[in-house]
Amino acid sequence: MTLRHGRWVVGQKTDAIGGARSATEPQRYPPHVAILESAPPPVQNPPIRRRGVPAGPRGSQGMFAFVLDSVRMAWRGLTRMRTALYLLAGLAVQSAVATVIPQEPNVPGTVQAWLTGEDGPGVGVAQALDTLGAFDVYGSTLFLAFLLLMFLSLTACLIPRIRGWLRLVRHSRPPLLTRATSSDLKAGFVTVADEGAVLDAAQALLPARQRGTARWRQRLHRQHGPGDPPGAGRSAPSQLAAETGLWTREGGSLAFHLSFYVLLAAIVFGQLTTFEGQRGVVEGEPGFTDAAVSYWQYAPGRWFSEDEHAGWRLDLEGFEVDWVRDPLAPGAGQPTLFRSAVTITRADGTVERASVEGNRPLVVDGRKIHQLDWGYAPRMIVRQDGVVVHDAFVTTQDATGLFTGAVKAPAADPDVGLELFLYPFAPDGTDGPRLTGAPWADAPLMFVWQWRGDLQLGLTQQFINELDVSNLDLQGGTWLRPGESVAIGDVEIEFVELRRWVGFQVSRRPGVPWLLLGAGMMTLGLVASLYAYRRRVWVVVEGTDAQGRTLVNVVGRAFQRPDAAAEEHARLAEQLRVVLAGEATTTAPVTAPQAPTGAST
Amino acid sequence: MNQTDLAELSKLLYSPVTIGLYVAASIVSFAALTATVGGGDAQRGRRAMQLGRVLALVGIAAHLAHEIVRGLAQQRLPLGNMFEVTSLMALVGVAGGLGYLRRRRREELNGFVLLGGTLMLGLALLMYAEPGPLMPILDTWWRTFHVSLLVGGMGVFAAGFVFTGLYLLGDTGQVDPGARRAGALIGSALGDSGAVPVGGSSAPSTLSTAGPEDPAWRAEVRGRISAWRLALGVFLGTSVVSWVWAVSLEPTRAGVGRMLTVNVTMVVAALVARWFTPYLPATATLDGIAHRVIAFAFVLWTIGTIAGAMWAEQSWGRFWGWDPKETGAFLTWVAYAGYLHARATRGVRGRSAAWVGIGAFVTLMATYLVANYVIVGLHSYAGL
Repeated sequence: MTLRHGRWVVGQKTDAIGGARSATEPQRYPPHVAILESAPPPVQNPPIRRRGVPAGPRGSQGMFAFVLDSVRMAWRGLTRMRTALYLLAGLAVQSAVATVIPQEPNVPGTVQAWLTGEDGPGVGVAQALDTLGAFDVYGSTLFLAFLLLMFLSLTACLIPRIRGWLRLVRHSRPPLLTRATSSDLKAGFVTVADEGAVLDAAQALLPARQRGTARWRQRLHRQHGPGDPPGAGRSAPSQLAAETGLWTREGGSLAFHLSFYVLLAAIVFGQLTTFEGQRGVVEGEPGFTDAAVSYWQYAPGRWFSEDEHAGWRLDLEGFEVDWVRDPLAPGAGQPTLFRSAVTITRADGTVERASVEGNRPLVVDGRKIHQLDWGYAPRMIVRQDGVVVHDAFVTTQDATGLFTGAVKAPAADPDVGLELFLYPFAPDGTDGPRLTGAPWADAPLMFVWQWRGDLQLGLTQQFINELDVSNLDLQGGTWLRPGESVAIGDVEIEFVELRRWVGFQVSRRPGVPWLLLGAGMMTLGLVASLYAYRRRVWVVVEGTDAQGRTLVNVVGRAFQRPDAAAEEHARLAEQLRVVLAGEATTTAPVTAPQAPTGAST
Repeated sequence: MNQTDLAELSKLLYSPVTIGLYVAASIVSFAALTATVGGGDAQRGRRAMQLGRVLALVGIAAHLAHEIVRGLAQQRLPLGNMFEVTSLMALVGVAGGLGYLRRRRREELNGFVLLGGTLMLGLALLMYAEPGPLMPILDTWWRTFHVSLLVGGMGVFAAGFVFTGLYLLGDTGQVDPGARRAGALIGSALGDSGAVPVGGSSAPSTLSTAGPEDPAWRAEVRGRISAWRLALGVFLGTSVVSWVWAVSLEPTRAGVGRMLTVNVTMVVAALVARWFTPYLPATATLDGIAHRVIAFAFVLWTIGTIAGAMWAEQSWGRFWGWDPKETGAFLTWVAYAGYLHARATRGVRGRSAAWVGIGAFVTLMATYLVANYVIVGLHSYAGL
């Protein structure tokens, strides 16, 4: 019923434009539906304590009432815009901290260096920062608490706004103008057209539904006819009241704020259903199968089950990488190409060749495959007394100018550990090899430190590319070219060949489409909330002058964007004047509508 | 013409030509401002305005030509390092700012926008890098989309900063402190929420009947803005950003020297703006312009950041990872969201909101420089 009433406002003016029903025909208003005059935008900072509600002596109502009162006041505090501003400021301060202080999830190495005092402001400060959780701001309780409060505040703020907005959209109509205020926009003219013609022209000028123009919500009022319900504004002069931007701006703002719930839901859903695995593959060597056990690093969401793996197999045929090699060329040394040629073998046996590039991940069965990392992979054989104790490719890592890695051979007795330093481009010069620091492997040269003792595998936390030398003794070092082998003591080290390895990331992110939805809502809502604006226009028939001509005033009132509204008002007033062949009087309103003698021309 | 010649030409177009034209246009526009508003020879004022407009247009054309020639010299869009980004920020800020002022029929303010543009060009020169190729990972349509939106947003934010600063200067100088105290809510009449006095002026808040034609009135307005406090405030405020040079340049003495240069330049610019404060239009107008400009930039920033997240999902396999630049973009977004909300909040809109806007721009510049110079993250491609 109420919805139908909401449409009634539209229906009335359509009838009037079509002339199918005379405006003098009585309109029926359902008595049980309250007609709402559209109110100005709500006050954003309501008082925490409602006025008129006595506080009452504390404790007289009992503990329960006290708690209830406190909760209510806290809720009202949360709905205040000022609270939201403080919360935003809190989030900003924490982000600022995270910009300046290294974050554990991003750069664990730097954080470690700060904690050990190798870098940063010193061990004491770093310890204090660690206690405060400043090394992982976005995972800290404080940040999450702010986020929670932000969402609570947003919810508290949005509930009444959504209710008010729905009421406005469904039941409201522009109020009649009884008296223009000094801040309203005014333009007046006199015309020979009569009242009916003026109002008809005004209705055509402020269309309810027309492509390319604003949609005006109209309300027609005739002073001497039953065109309007009894009540407020009954004595107002005949006029067409119109309003637009009524729901777009506030609706856009609501969509913008509601998009945060969509984003939050998408992120949580994504976290639960995602899966991310990382694995390094050496060129030409066996690759890996999409299964939980294959990944070096494996991070499934809570709702991701292992039988969701597709079971395809990835092999790396070759990895192309190149740089600007001319040292004098602009951008010398910058990489120009990263491309992996891979073979995907699906569970049903079909084989597919594909390539993975920097900005072009490969999508297989809804999993995205990215290249995350790459390095040189020397094949190292270690023999003790002729017995092979290690034969594998070592995945070295870029250490600016050289690549470093480690060989751990617990099969030897005592354990053998090798530290590898690979210089990809070290051509022979007149006095030995020249370490250029260039990354292309045209003349690879490796330096090896050999350690013996206890590798402490499984006893201490170690990186795959670093030795824990606390229980090892240095035996000596040597230079090696590919194909060469050197014996230090009873251990022979052979550098067989040099290949490359690529670190792949396989991920599944079902939350992404929902994130995109949230982002779209946010953008559209933002544009609407900043560019749509609410304004009213009244075309008022003020009466007739001494010559019997009709006095017309066009009054405008803007709630936002006063300049745009002023331009539009001037344009509309001029259009109406031209249509009615009116004569401009002044930009000031035609005053004293009810006294013909006082009518100014 | 080979690429070296093109590079030379682009340098020439930038350093004496564009900067010179902007400075000249700025001076002529300020002269036009004093003549038209300050009760001078109206005819001369109009002519000066016209000349300033022409100079500014030629300056923008030269700036655009510089960008194109530089793009040709390195066979890629000039969006690759901090010099290019800052230079484009200046171009977007000046072209957008002047265009918007023309639409609002407030061209008398052109001089301030051009002054801001000149400063931004100078800042870019501090970070000059020779033309060069782009890393392959960056050579993608995504990047063009993401970076140009953010650079555009930064440029428009910079223009918004100029107007916010002018609003604060105008409000301090033109509004009688007694009236402000009595009214307490002068600011609340401003803003775009709640009924706005359309076309209204801040007439009740300006002091006497005298206007900018009266030298005594001008002196009075200037006198309300303490030059020492302004200089100190701008010096300290700029330091929030310029410390980056002090810690990142070697040797430290050179870094501190550069920091002081930047600070003193900003102080001088602020004092110039103070001198022209009596000629400013009503504070409500300035506040409105600042808000519209910042709101537009906020839209650009939002879309640009979303595009960045989409590219990160494509390139790094995650859409958001709190990398220093991502954090910086988020921080800036939160700060400007704070400004937009402050402006819609009773008791905060007006001066307080403008201060939030100033803080937001400081945040923008600080995160821009810190994330490029001081912290190394995934985004560290800036050709330093």
